[in-house]
Amino acid sequence: MPLLEVSGLSKEFDGLRALDGVDFSADEAEILGVIGPNGAGKTTLFNIISGIFPPSNGKISFQGKTIHRLKTHQISRLGIGRTFQLVRPFQNLDVETNILVASGHPYYPSFRKSFAPFRKPEILGEVQKLIDRTGLQTYARQIAKNLPLGIKKRLEIARALALKPRLLLLDEPSGGLRFEESDQLMELIRQIREQGIGVLLIEHNMQVIMDLCKRIVVLDHGSKIAEGSPEEIRSNPQVIQAYLGKES
Amino acid sequence: MISGYLITILITIIIYAMLAHSLNIITGHAGQISLGHAAFLGIGAYTSAMLYTEAGFPFWLSVPLSGLVAGAIGALLAIPCLRVRDDFLAITTMGIGFVAEAVFLYTPFFGGAMGIGGINLPNWFGREMTKSEYFLLILLVFGFLLFLDHRMGRSWIGLAWASIREDEQAAGAMGVDVVRFKVLAFILGSAIAGLAGGFYAHFLTFIMPQNFGFGQSIVILCMVVFGGIGTRWGPVLGAVILGILPEIFRPIMEYRTFLYGLLLLAMMRFQPGGILGAESILPKVLRRYIFRPASQE
Amino acid sequence: MLWQQLANGIAMGSVYALVSLGLTMVYGILRILHVAHAGVYTLGAYIGLFSFRLVGDFWVSLFIGMAGSAVAGYLIERFLYSPLLHLPRIVPLIASIGLFIALEEAFRIVAGPHTLTYNARIGIGDLSIGSFRLTETQILILFVTFAALIFLWVFLTKTRTGLAMRACAQDAETASSFGVNVKAIIAVNFLFGSAMAGAAGVLIGVYDNQVWPTMGAIPAYKALAIVVLGGLGNIPGTVLAAIGVGLAETFFIGILAIPFPRDAVAFIAMILVLMFKPYGLLGKA
Repeated sequence: MPLLEVSGLSKEFDGLRALDGVDFSADEAEILGVIGPNGAGKTTLFNIISGIFPPSNGKISFQGKTIHRLKTHQISRLGIGRTFQLVRPFQNLDVETNILVASGHPYYPSFRKSFAPFRKPEILGEVQKLIDRTGLQTYARQIAKNLPLGIKKRLEIARALALKPRLLLLDEPSGGLRFEESDQLMELIRQIREQGIGVLLIEHNMQVIMDLCKRIVVLDHGSKIAEGSPEEIRSNPQVIQAYLGKES
Repeated sequence: MISGYLITILITIIIYAMLAHSLNIITGHAGQISLGHAAFLGIGAYTSAMLYTEAGFPFWLSVPLSGLVAGAIGALLAIPCLRVRDDFLAITTMGIGFVAEAVFLYTPFFGGAMGIGGINLPNWFGREMTKSEYFLLILLVFGFLLFLDHRMGRSWIGLAWASIREDEQAAGAMGVDVVRFKVLAFILGSAIAGLAGGFYAHFLTFIMPQNFGFGQSIVILCMVVFGGIGTRWGPVLGAVILGILPEIFRPIMEYRTFLYGLLLLAMMRFQPGGILGAESILPKVLRRYIFRPASQE
Repeated sequence: MLWQQLANGIAMGSVYALVSLGLTMVYGILRILHVAHAGVYTLGAYIGLFSFRLVGDFWVSLFIGMAGSAVAGYLIERFLYSPLLHLPRIVPLIASIGLFIALEEAFRIVAGPHTLTYNARIGIGDLSIGSFRLTETQILILFVTFAALIFLWVFLTKTRTGLAMRACAQDAETASSFGVNVKAIIAVNFLFGSAMAGAAGVLIGVYDNQVWPTMGAIPAYKALAIVVLGGLGNIPGTVLAAIGVGLAETFFIGILAIPFPRDAVAFIAMILVLMFKPYGLLGKA
């Protein structure tokens, strides 16, 4: 059974079709690329999967459960984490506290449990592990809003990982990063995949996509126009047309 | 001992501090602007007053019950309030305040425009409490509430609130049930305001609908904003300063309200984070060593 | 009898519309709740009154009242709101409230706490048909509101500046990248809205023959309820809501004679509508 199944997904905003009958599935331990020209509907897709708004039509199931009617926090508790295209860390909280917010997901549902203090050694230990994995050690106590972009991006990933997700939605993680930052990021994403977590990766940086993904889905104007391996996608005339069309 | 005048001021300030604190929970922790908070003060005051004068409940029962009733009504109002966003919420809460005041004013059951009188200070040890003792009682209760707030600040609830205040959508994506925690803040804030209302009623000994109108809501809000929204001690400090101010300005009573308005204006224009807020000059040093925003403890 | 109530309700609603228009326009473009707008309304009444006492002509006093309010509105935007735009919304809101309080007090200190009379003759005569009567002030109110709405409609739909204003209300950043002078648009917005409020102040001052320092309080709250009811930033919605509230008040108090404060009607209507339409009658997310 695939980890995530999206069938016939459509979304309309006031007459504008942002997504039109999109179908695909994603598996564990795979990095599925989602690419397409600007305005193709990629972030809308992520927003629907993560529950920020519901689809107009279609179905999404995760590990066999239908999730497209659930609220954001329910979906994240089921095991889907995400990052945002324009980074949104909790600005006035420090890195460690940012990650702690997501670590609380088992406690929030119960009033009794959520009354307990959160700075417990076991919890802090787990957070420290995440901080180490994502290379944020030197920034642990720094306030998020003053951090450089590359660090904020890693923070978002660390935060999403604190949800112990089975599926991670990464929205243009390498946007605005320099080369070596980008490489480090790719390494991190590979490690995440090696842990068995499925990754949906939106990217404009073709280098990153071709290197990381064995499978890619291409969206244009809300529809899926191609799906396949990097080689197949690279030579697909419709894909080329979609990108060329945007350039002219 | 201490002069009667001073004690009266102290009691007034501590009640306002409790009110400002309760509003801070809603506005600061849950990020919901409320322009009608005095409604809960009124609900608590009238509950306590009615239970005491009509049903013969002793102070020791009527006051806690006023907190519970206010909290219950807060729970009822929380859901519609949460359906409404941002600026709509500000005005909706203002509307709730007006409707509440109108209910108190026009319902004969609540004494109408004349209000309710004959609400006395509590009895203990076979005699009526003195004002100084009453002050200490409220101080004790408030101290406990502050301790509770401290505990909550260190708990997952406090963390959830902090994340909601920063970015609701991101908080949701991190597993926080935003609606649930906002409702919690609402209930807690209204319950404490109701409790303050109970203390208020027994202190003033008679209450009128005008005590609980929009003006009162604004006074409370200003204390919170002046001191610093979302900080633990800001609202308390705001209550102290803005509570003492009318007394300082008494000689120029004519211009009191005018200066009050100007003060607000100036505060917002030049020091919007409040006295203890993030950008303020004063607490930058203090905060490093003594006070830290409630979410970071 | 019913026609009379209807006429009274629409007249009242028109005044509410004049005041609320400025409020909703400011919100539309700056996303600020301009509570001090009610202070501008009262200022218009006072300026109108004092110029009437000086000059003796109603029309001149109306014009000067509107002009004075317009200037005041402009100054408020320039020196108070403009520097606060980048801060959390509650800051300009409290600043506006502070300004409103200070203004009311300033009126009291300068002009005295007592009610002053604004005994102006408009000179167009009342309209009487049998027992139905429309006073000259009511006629003028209807006329001014109608004229303002027509003007606004033409301005917003047919002129370039109006188009620019609508663009700014949608997305100021994008608009400015298209060369729109956003600052000028904001200024025009405030000038027009404040002038309307000033007109309303003068008209009510004459209608009730009363001008007093806190006369802005009730319109302040009502206008807020009305703009929310109609959909924040939505001009047709606001007008609809304003007339609706005027009619509802007259109906409930005048006809049904329910002993409920007429001022709460606006808020009750607002809360009820928000339950079913969280963005107001015509508002959109």
